[in-house]
Amino acid sequence: MLIVNNLVKRFNSTLAVDNISFTVKPGKIFGLLGPNGAGKTTTIRTILNIIKPTSGEIIFNGNPITYEYYNIIGYLPEERGLYKRSKVIDVLAYFAALKNLSRRNAINSAESWLKKLHILEYRDRKIEQLSKGNQQKVQLIAAIIHNPSLLILDEPFTGFDPINQQEVKDLILSFVSEGKTIILSTHQMELAEKLSEDILLINNGKSISSGNLSDIKKNFGGNNIRLGFSGSNTFLSQFPEIIKYDNYNNYSDIQLRDEIIPSEFLKKMIEKIEVNHFSIVEPSLNKIFIDLIKRSSD
Amino acid sequence: MMKKILTISMWEYLEKVKTKAFVLSLVITPILIITVTLLPSLLLKEESPTVEIIGIIDTSGIYFNYLEEEFQKYELPNGQRNYVLINLDHVGKSYEAKKRTADLNVVRNLISGYLIIGMTNKDSLFAEYRSNLFGNFKVVARFEEALNHFQTKKILKLAGVQSTLLEKIQDRTIVQQIKISEDGKVSDLDFLTTFFLSVIFILLLMMMVVYSGQMLVRSMIEEKSSRLIEMLVSSSTPDELLTGKILGLSLLGITQILIWVLLGMTLVASSLLPITAFKNIVPMLLFFILGFLFYASLFVGIGSTVSTEQEAQHITTYLSLILMLPVVIAMPAAQNPDFIVTKIFSYIPLTIPTVMLLRLNVQNVSNLEIFVSLVIMVISIFIVTKLSAKIFRIGILSYGNKPTLKEVFRWIKE
Repeated sequence: MLIVNNLVKRFNSTLAVDNISFTVKPGKIFGLLGPNGAGKTTTIRTILNIIKPTSGEIIFNGNPITYEYYNIIGYLPEERGLYKRSKVIDVLAYFAALKNLSRRNAINSAESWLKKLHILEYRDRKIEQLSKGNQQKVQLIAAIIHNPSLLILDEPFTGFDPINQQEVKDLILSFVSEGKTIILSTHQMELAEKLSEDILLINNGKSISSGNLSDIKKNFGGNNIRLGFSGSNTFLSQFPEIIKYDNYNNYSDIQLRDEIIPSEFLKKMIEKIEVNHFSIVEPSLNKIFIDLIKRSSD
Repeated sequence: MMKKILTISMWEYLEKVKTKAFVLSLVITPILIITVTLLPSLLLKEESPTVEIIGIIDTSGIYFNYLEEEFQKYELPNGQRNYVLINLDHVGKSYEAKKRTADLNVVRNLISGYLIIGMTNKDSLFAEYRSNLFGNFKVVARFEEALNHFQTKKILKLAGVQSTLLEKIQDRTIVQQIKISEDGKVSDLDFLTTFFLSVIFILLLMMMVVYSGQMLVRSMIEEKSSRLIEMLVSSSTPDELLTGKILGLSLLGITQILIWVLLGMTLVASSLLPITAFKNIVPMLLFFILGFLFYASLFVGIGSTVSTEQEAQHITTYLSLILMLPVVIAMPAAQNPDFIVTKIFSYIPLTIPTVMLLRLNVQNVSNLEIFVSLVIMVISIFIVTKLSAKIFRIGILSYGNKPTLKEVFRWIKE
C-alpha cells in the first residue's frame, strides 16, 4: 500500500505539486489524472525518489520510501525510447541487472515476457530494427521484468494499436490480480474509467477530486437519465423536474433535479407518453474531467 | 551499491567498445599521429636501405661527373653505394625525346627518378627532379646541397678565391645536442625525438578525451531525449549512475591505452622509436591517466546539462583547445626552463596533464614538482567528481533549454 501525505514540491518560484494526499490500495488500479503540466510527472518522480519533495511524506508498505525500494518498483515513463543500437535481450538484461536480478534470472524472465507478448523472435535484433509498437512492448517489459510490487505506468497505452492495447490491458489486469499496487497516469479517460477504482484528479498542482470513482460520479450532480419514446419531444419542457435536456433522434438525455427520484419520474412519464427506453446515466469520467478542470481553472 | 555501479560501468563500456567508431579510432588515431609527427623526420634521417638508380639529364654536360663523384660518399649500412647515377643524355636525340624516354623509365620503375639540370637565360642553374612520388626530401636535399656547393665554388673561383680556402668555406658545422639531467645522466637523444614523443602523448590524450567525451555526452543526450534516464534513476541513485559512467569511460580509456602501449612496444621492437624515449614513461602514464580521469569526470557533469549534439560539440571543441595549449608553449618551454607560463600551467588542473607530459621530456622537472602536480590532480579529480555529481543529479532531469551558469551554481549549492 502506498500513502502520499501532504506532498509539496516547489521549483524555485513555481509550485509544481501543492499539498496532495492520496492512498493507493494493493490489488487496485489507481488513476492519476490531469491535463498536461498538472503535476502528474512531478508527483510520480517524488514517489520514485528521483526528486526530493519540498515537504510531505511518501509511505510504502509502512515505511518512508528510500533508494532501497528501487528494486521493487517498476516505472514506465511517458516518453519512450531505448538504446537503439543495442540488442533487445541485452537491454532487458541490463535493466534487470539494475534491479538486482542475476544474469540468469534476467534472461529467463526476459524470454518469458518476450514470449508472452509475442515478440520472442526479436530477441537478438537491435531495438532500432523493431516496429514502434514492438519497441514499446520491449520498454514495458523493461519496466516489469523484475516483478515489481509497485508499478507506475505513465500513459502506457499511447502508441499501441487496438490489439496491442488489449494485450497491455490484460497484462495490467494480471498484475492487479496478483495483488500488486498500480498507479496509472493517463489522459485516456475511457481506459482510466474502465480500469481504475480510485482516482486522483489534479490541475495546476492541486487536487481537484479524489477517491472512489463511482462515489465521485454519484457526487457529480449526476441525476441523469436517458429516455426513449415515440412522438414529439416538445412535452419535455413542461416538466419542472427537468433542469436541462439534450434531444437525439430516438431518445433524450435528461438532467433531473437532485431531489427527484428517477423511478418516480418515470411513472409520471409513462402516463403521458409511450416510453420504449429508460436508463440511469452516469456521467462519463471524460465529462467529469472536463467539467472539473474548467471549474477549477475559472 | 557496488554491484549496480559495476553493472552500469560494464554496460557503458561494452556498448561503446562494440561500436565501429571505437574500433576505428583505436587504429586510426595512432596511425594518424605517428604519420603526422614521426614519419617526415624518419624519412629525412634514416638511410634508405636500397640502392637507388637515378638518371641525370645534364644539358650543359658539366655536372654529371661532379654529381657522380659527390654521391659516392653516401653509403648503405652494408657498405654498398646508396645511389647509382646514370647519364641519360644518350637516350634520345632531342630534349623532349630524352624526357619522354626518361619518364617512361620512371613509370616502369627502371629508375627511381631523374634530375634535369639546365641553365636559365640569366646564367643561373635550373634543376627539376622527376619521379613517381612526392616526398623524396632526402635525395632532393642532397642534390640541392651538391649543386649549390658546385655553384658557390664556381663563383668564388671566378672571384679569385684560393681552392684550399674554398674547401674551408664549404665546411659545415653540425651542432650535437646533449641533455643533462640532475642525476648527472647524459642523454644524446635529440630534442625532436623527445619532443615528438611528448606531442604524441598529448595528441593521444586529446583525441581520447575528445573522442570518449563526445561518445559519453552523445549517449547521455540519447538517454535524456528518450527519457531512458528516468528508468535509470528509478533503478539506481544518481551517484551510482555517475560513478558507473566515469568508470565505464575509464575502462574504455584503459583499453585504448593498453592497445596503444602494445603498439608502442612494437614500434620500439622494430626500433622505429628508441627505447630511451620512454625513460619518463611512468610519470607520463600517471599524468596521462589522471588527466583522462579528470576530463572524464568533468564531461559527465557538463554533459548532463546539454540536450543537443551541437552543444556537446561546442564543449568538446573548447576543451580540446585547452588540451592543445602546451603545443603552443612548447618551444619557449624547451628553450627556457624557467619560462613562467609553463610553471603556472603546471599547477592548473586543466593544463597539468598536457603541460607535464611536455615538460617531462623537454625540461628537467624536479621530483617535488611532479609530486605536487600529481597531488593537485588527484584532489581536483575528487572535487570535480563531487561537483559533477551535484550538477548531474539535476542536469539529467532537466530537458529543453540549456541551463545558465547561474542555474548550475544553484544546483551545486543545493
